[in-house]
Amino acid sequence: MAVTATTPATRPSTVASRTGAAAVTAALVLLVAVLAVVDIAQGTASVGAPEVWKALTGRAEAGDSSVVIASRLPRMTAGLLVGVVLGMAGAALQAVSRNVLAAPDTLAVNAGSYLALGIAAATGLSLPLLASSGVAFIGGLAAATVVLSLSGLGTGTVRLVLAGSALTFGLTAVTEGLLLLRPRETEGLYKWNQGSIAQNGFDGVLQMVPVAAVGLVGLVLLARRVDALALGDDAAQGVGVPVRSTRVIAVVLAALLSTAAVTLAGPIGFVGLCAPALVRPLARRFRVLTKSRARLPFAGLTGAALVLGSDVLLRAVVPSDTAVAVPTGVVTSLVGAVFLIVMAARARDTAGAMPTERLRIRSRATFVVTAAVLVLALVGVTIAGVLIGDSKLLLGDVVNWTQGRSGQAVTFVLDTRVPRVTAALLAGAALALAGTLIQAVTRNPLAEPSVLGVTNGAAVGAVLLVTTVPAVGSWGIAGGAFAGAAMSSVLVFGLAARGGFQQNRLVLVGFGVATGSTAVISLLIILTDPFNATKALTWLSGSTYGRTFPDVVPLAIVLTVGLAVAVTRRTELDLVSLDEDTPRLLGLNLSRGRLGFLVLSVLLSATAVAAAGTIGFVGLVAPHAARALVGRQHVRVVPVAVLLGAVLVCTADLVGRTVIAPAQLGAGLMTAVIGTPYFLHLLVRSRR
Amino acid sequence: MKRLLITAAAATAAALTLSACGTTESADDEAKKGAESFTLTDDTGAKVKLNGPAKKVVGTEWNVVESLISLGVEPAGVSDVKGYKTWDSAVPLKNDPKDVGTRGEPSMDTIASLKPDLVLATTDLSAAAVKQLRKVAPVLTVKASDAADPIGQMNKNLDLIAKATGTTEQAEKLKKDFDAKLAAGKKKLAAAGHGGAKFAFADGYVTGNQTSIRPYTGGSLIGAVNEKLGLKNDWKVKGDKVYGLGTTDVEGLTKLDEKVEFAYIGNDGDKGSNPFAGVLKKDKVWTSLPFVKKGNVHRLPDGIWMFGGPESMNRYVDSVVDTLKK
Repeated sequence: MAVTATTPATRPSTVASRTGAAAVTAALVLLVAVLAVVDIAQGTASVGAPEVWKALTGRAEAGDSSVVIASRLPRMTAGLLVGVVLGMAGAALQAVSRNVLAAPDTLAVNAGSYLALGIAAATGLSLPLLASSGVAFIGGLAAATVVLSLSGLGTGTVRLVLAGSALTFGLTAVTEGLLLLRPRETEGLYKWNQGSIAQNGFDGVLQMVPVAAVGLVGLVLLARRVDALALGDDAAQGVGVPVRSTRVIAVVLAALLSTAAVTLAGPIGFVGLCAPALVRPLARRFRVLTKSRARLPFAGLTGAALVLGSDVLLRAVVPSDTAVAVPTGVVTSLVGAVFLIVMAARARDTAGAMPTERLRIRSRATFVVTAAVLVLALVGVTIAGVLIGDSKLLLGDVVNWTQGRSGQAVTFVLDTRVPRVTAALLAGAALALAGTLIQAVTRNPLAEPSVLGVTNGAAVGAVLLVTTVPAVGSWGIAGGAFAGAAMSSVLVFGLAARGGFQQNRLVLVGFGVATGSTAVISLLIILTDPFNATKALTWLSGSTYGRTFPDVVPLAIVLTVGLAVAVTRRTELDLVSLDEDTPRLLGLNLSRGRLGFLVLSVLLSATAVAAAGTIGFVGLVAPHAARALVGRQHVRVVPVAVLLGAVLVCTADLVGRTVIAPAQLGAGLMTAVIGTPYFLHLLVRSRR
Repeated sequence: MKRLLITAAAATAAALTLSACGTTESADDEAKKGAESFTLTDDTGAKVKLNGPAKKVVGTEWNVVESLISLGVEPAGVSDVKGYKTWDSAVPLKNDPKDVGTRGEPSMDTIASLKPDLVLATTDLSAAAVKQLRKVAPVLTVKASDAADPIGQMNKNLDLIAKATGTTEQAEKLKKDFDAKLAAGKKKLAAAGHGGAKFAFADGYVTGNQTSIRPYTGGSLIGAVNEKLGLKNDWKVKGDKVYGLGTTDVEGLTKLDEKVEFAYIGNDGDKGSNPFAGVLKKDKVWTSLPFVKKGNVHRLPDGIWMFGGPESMNRYVDSVVDTLKK
């Protein structure tokens, strides 16, 4: 970053530090100013630097000056405001939570606001800007409250991000459901979700400035109390600072700031996370910046440089008419994802290992009963899935169909419905098995293909292939998905492997990859098929729509192989999941076994994505519930988890197909709605 | 968890006993009529065999639905009926067709339950879905549009649908009327002094605080009709290969000629669809555009589907001629 490049050499004396800090600040202000000027000179109208200069000096033609005044300046100001506001909000959140990864994104503030606005849009409310900002504020504050109360203030760094990111996934799934349901009412909301600083004149900026000012001034006034919190809760209490109210006020103000940014420009991802982090190394050199009163505005300036820099970069690289369609937020999200990954790879795992689950030993009888009940449930859901739909059938119809004696209508319905039910069943089973394997190998109760970014990586591969090769077949899509999944998992596991699969680092890197992949998918859709977002949304929401039997073949083959391997090597799985030393004492080659299981689980997730899109959280919920029901032995966990996964996805598919018929929702949306609370529940439970 | 599973199991047992016997169809469902069959080739190169002209037809996109209605065939099923009624009131539904779900993901079950003779889809529907629909009924997939020759594609689609439904006479009449309409429109515009006038058509969307504008380039159906009317398309942005649509923002409008006539279609039933009569009224870039100052901005009537068939385009020609002659 240019900011750090201009850092002058410093001496330890305070005076030198002060002048140095002043110099850095001046350099940063200069950088922001340069970026702002460059930003004004960019756009779709042919108003370049000379015209801008004329307009600013009042000598331009009316047309040019109105472009500068009513389009360029508002955009630049919005970028500046959004950057400052997000940078300060991030810095404040990090200070009060004593957590370097706290930010509007990681606290799910943006996702909460997005959902609130989505609900407002879908219900057909057309709100004035301030009112919609109020709606967004309530949504964002609610989400932040949930995350902070679940993760606990000032405790584990990682837990906060996990809770926030999980909630983000869940809330985004619900919002995307709304988008699919009401494509017209929410038109553009999808694009808006990527964040763009373009403006219709100064109105929006002017309405948001007071809101932002309240937040900014409030935070500066609160700065001294925030600094006291850095000493620790007890010490702060000792010097007379009310810990609880300071935190509450700071979080409310930060949420207010981020909603101002969200209302103005949509969620501009990760600026609140990156800006304060960039200030941190500087603060080590210049003592002044360790004080919140100086640090918060400095982080704000850095944020402004980030937002404007991304916008300038985007418009400089892409032709102007395309740049209009690519939101600034995609660029910052990509940058932020890389940043999150780097931070995670470097972060010390302060939270320590998750305590092993304390599970009661289950008797053999429990296992048999559970398995039997599950098989029955599976049969029931399958039958329901085949019989229930827009047209209801009876079992006799199915019998006729299997014997080829059914009439035209029934044949039609079953020919299309049975492959979908099959795809859901197999995808659920495959994801559950993949989750079981990953959790065993990494000994991480939170590890799961979708949380680790593997499913999103697979979706990137699949969507890339679908958009570039229109006539691609089922094996091609499965191949593309596998290539994507393989690349993302090599990245995730490669980075997490340093330091031997530290529990939470793995999940954090995974979240980073998942976020980055989502941004890439958005970019692909916008650039290749801007007028057919439904197509890609279908992929991302995990739908079995339009599946035929040939599409399911790759999945069926991989699942069969996977089950065979899991059953034959069940004892190895038990040992690997136990601890680091036991297998070694027994002379087992751990790393090779681990690698084999990982490759298998990546294959399973990739083929599941190819068959049914991205379905999240099944690989997390199923193995957990299985262990809780029948204990830890893999000879029992594997079948129970696989059955549970199949039942879960099949049910989700059935519900998605029927509740709003003839329109439909993706199965992945339904599992996210079930999976998110479960993930949060696991987080809470593991805290004790 | 366990209680849930047991309940599920019990429900299963009950469901099994209740649904075990019986079918939903009568035995003599397949009385085949001995009509003369014929084969058509659609835009994906698929050969589609029909047992006589199709009577019961489902359309998954609004343009094919409009063509059906124009040809005098009342569709049995239509995607997003409410949306069609909002956006294509120029060619209204005369019957009360079954809603078959969204345009992106029409419901297979609902379509199958209608037992159609023919399903009309466009290349916008995913190939996988078309493959499935083929099992339900013969499917004709027409190109949604073609920026290389939008009017030709529209006529080609009309002809194909007419052949499939045995309404070729009506199609010929529609095409002839449309050509006549274009010629007459061109004459009227020339007479009013608008021959070779610079013209730009767009629609737009407002989201949050931003306005996106969608230029209809020469590759769009409306753009091509404009050229036939002797108007000169003034957009310099590039459109996509299918619909000939571009993207730009309010600033991008400054590249339009100052003498341009600017027209748009919005919809009162869709609040985000009409920036020109809404938020832009207060936008300085918009209000200082030379053609806006001169009042050369025309709102055409709601309900003309910009991607429709000859009848929507007839309506479009009429409204353009009307508004420019004023």
